[in-house]
Amino acid sequence: MSPARTRSGNLAANLVAFVRLLRGRGLPVGPREAADALRALAAVDLLDRREVYLTLRAVLANAREHFLLFDQAFREFWGAPEDEAAFPGMEPDGPAEVLEDAEQVVREWLAAAEDRESEDDSAESPGYSPVDVLTRKDFSALTADELDAITALVGQIARRVATRLSRRMRAVRRSHLLDMRRTVRHSLRRGGEIMELLRRRRRLQKTQVVLLCDVSGSMDLYSRFLVQFVFALQHAVSRVETFVFSTSLTRVTDALSDVELRRALDRVARTVPNWSGGTKIGVSLRQFLEAHGRRLLGDRTVVIIISDGWDTGDVDVLEGAMRELNRRSARVIWLNPLLGSVGYEPLCQGMRAALPHVDVFASAHNLDSLRRLGRHLALR
Amino acid sequence: MHAEIARIQSMLGGEGYVADREIATAVYLSRSLRKPLLIEGAAGVGKTEVAKVMARALGTDLIRLQCYEGLDATTALYEWNYQKQLLHIRLTEASDRTVEQREQEIFSEGFLLKRPLLEAITRESAPVLLVDEIDRADSEFEAFLLEVLSDFQVTIPEIGTIRAVTTPYVVLTSNRTRELGDALRRRCLYLWIDYPAFEKELQIVLSKVPGINADLAAQVAGFMQLVRQARLEKTPGIAETIDWGAALLALHRDHLDRDVLEETLGVLFKSQEDARVVRTQWLDLWLRGLERLRAEPRPWSQAVLERIAVEGALRR
Repeated sequence: MSPARTRSGNLAANLVAFVRLLRGRGLPVGPREAADALRALAAVDLLDRREVYLTLRAVLANAREHFLLFDQAFREFWGAPEDEAAFPGMEPDGPAEVLEDAEQVVREWLAAAEDRESEDDSAESPGYSPVDVLTRKDFSALTADELDAITALVGQIARRVATRLSRRMRAVRRSHLLDMRRTVRHSLRRGGEIMELLRRRRRLQKTQVVLLCDVSGSMDLYSRFLVQFVFALQHAVSRVETFVFSTSLTRVTDALSDVELRRALDRVARTVPNWSGGTKIGVSLRQFLEAHGRRLLGDRTVVIIISDGWDTGDVDVLEGAMRELNRRSARVIWLNPLLGSVGYEPLCQGMRAALPHVDVFASAHNLDSLRRLGRHLALR
Repeated sequence: MHAEIARIQSMLGGEGYVADREIATAVYLSRSLRKPLLIEGAAGVGKTEVAKVMARALGTDLIRLQCYEGLDATTALYEWNYQKQLLHIRLTEASDRTVEQREQEIFSEGFLLKRPLLEAITRESAPVLLVDEIDRADSEFEAFLLEVLSDFQVTIPEIGTIRAVTTPYVVLTSNRTRELGDALRRRCLYLWIDYPAFEKELQIVLSKVPGINADLAAQVAGFMQLVRQARLEKTPGIAETIDWGAALLALHRDHLDRDVLEETLGVLFKSQEDARVVRTQWLDLWLRGLERLRAEPRPWSQAVLERIAVEGALRR
């Protein structure tokens, strides 16, 4: 959207155009926020750029993650917030304009929406943003600079995924609470004598997460991110058990529990004997079932396998192990980093054998796909 | 700057709260648009303080609802006074009223205990309602709160609907341990409070640690900037800075050196792991940074400190 095209002397029209720009960039704002913003502007000093900037940010950017996008859009649309000069198109035309703000904003909003329908819809779809491009880019095609940015995002996503998880799996310390309200009401029938304590019941829901992460050679590049993801996830959720495998299985929950990522990774590297070797998925899963299945599997367990499915072991062993894993857990999620590549089909033998026993088969090749993961984790 | 924002800024200043423009603007907007203010930021940057100071500056009461895991509507809104109800049942035992009548009596306003939310909307003059650490409550409670905040009315099945007499000024704080829902965010104005820059923290130290000399205050504020570059389990906030300043004052120290730092480390770093990492990894680097800082011409600035942090490889 070009500011020049929409820019007129009308404050409300400009504001609506600006809010639409923000919306196009993915900020959750709409007519109500636009109306609030106009009301807010009416209450501050419009000739003070910094004040206008702070005001619009307080109303329109309601999470810190949005500040960057907001600043960028603000700069493009109104100019730098530090500039001393007044805004073009920000001079109030008169007090009357500002008074009927809400109504006018809605009218502007609708008018702009009609305009757009007759033109094209490109401005409304999520526009260019560096974050956007990063999140869609395949991990294997990143430059060193981008890697750093990604690291921070991965942690953020893991926390968000964990948030979704913990709502469902939160342990309730006292599952039976005294319900005084009903108890007293009940006692009336017996002349105020409390014969019976009525209790409130709370649903007890705990989800166990088991992560099985492939660290063999073919997964090398992805593993670095996925282990970070796993690390962040483990620190955000209370009931996670993490294992890595290539030709055999190693439990790394304790190694990963170090608060510092680098130290944790060192510990993992020291614990795991065959980092980046060949892959025997079937054997590794079998090993898991036998050593940990009884303790960890059950109808409240989500099993997440992160692997590309390139198995150099016996396919029958893999199939059998997957079948059992599926039967003994509530959900099996298979994350495959190759699934994102264009034209990839799960043709390799191992993957084909495992697929019928997987509840969710999803990609894990970029940040977007990790973000979507949260959806699959919550059990009803 | 709008005159009223300037007034709020100096009003907060008068209450001993060093407010920059962002904070003053947000408080002003929240008041004039009558929208709740959601404040986020790391622990210990003074989020809760904003509500307290706001109440004092407005000359109104502060009603605080501290959130925690498992907080439910009963604890936040209202509860019946069970002892009083039981007593009433006993006292009316001999009367000839029916059970239904007696039931109606004990579920009337006289037997109602107001909890913070109900209290806040039934006051004669609008109080400041502080919903502290909303991220610690469950998402169900968040949804419930959203409902109360949009209608400012509460329905009690036995009594009926209670409408707000006045709309309270609402301040919510969150430490971001849980992501808040979009619906709640959109209902609120948003303020992010960062760790203060050197200049602001110096001002805070000077106003909150009475009797501290300007030179020590500058060293303390400068040192905190270096400390916050390190990645620790718990980065010390403003409260720690103030405590530390007071501790140094009580020990009659006016110069920061290794001895005094080791002596007072516990004031700043409250986990054993942090204290260990600081002793083994950071203390030497910070002391060197402090030496560099002392060599700089005064007054020091945030820019100088950032340069020192980069040059001293303190950023981690």
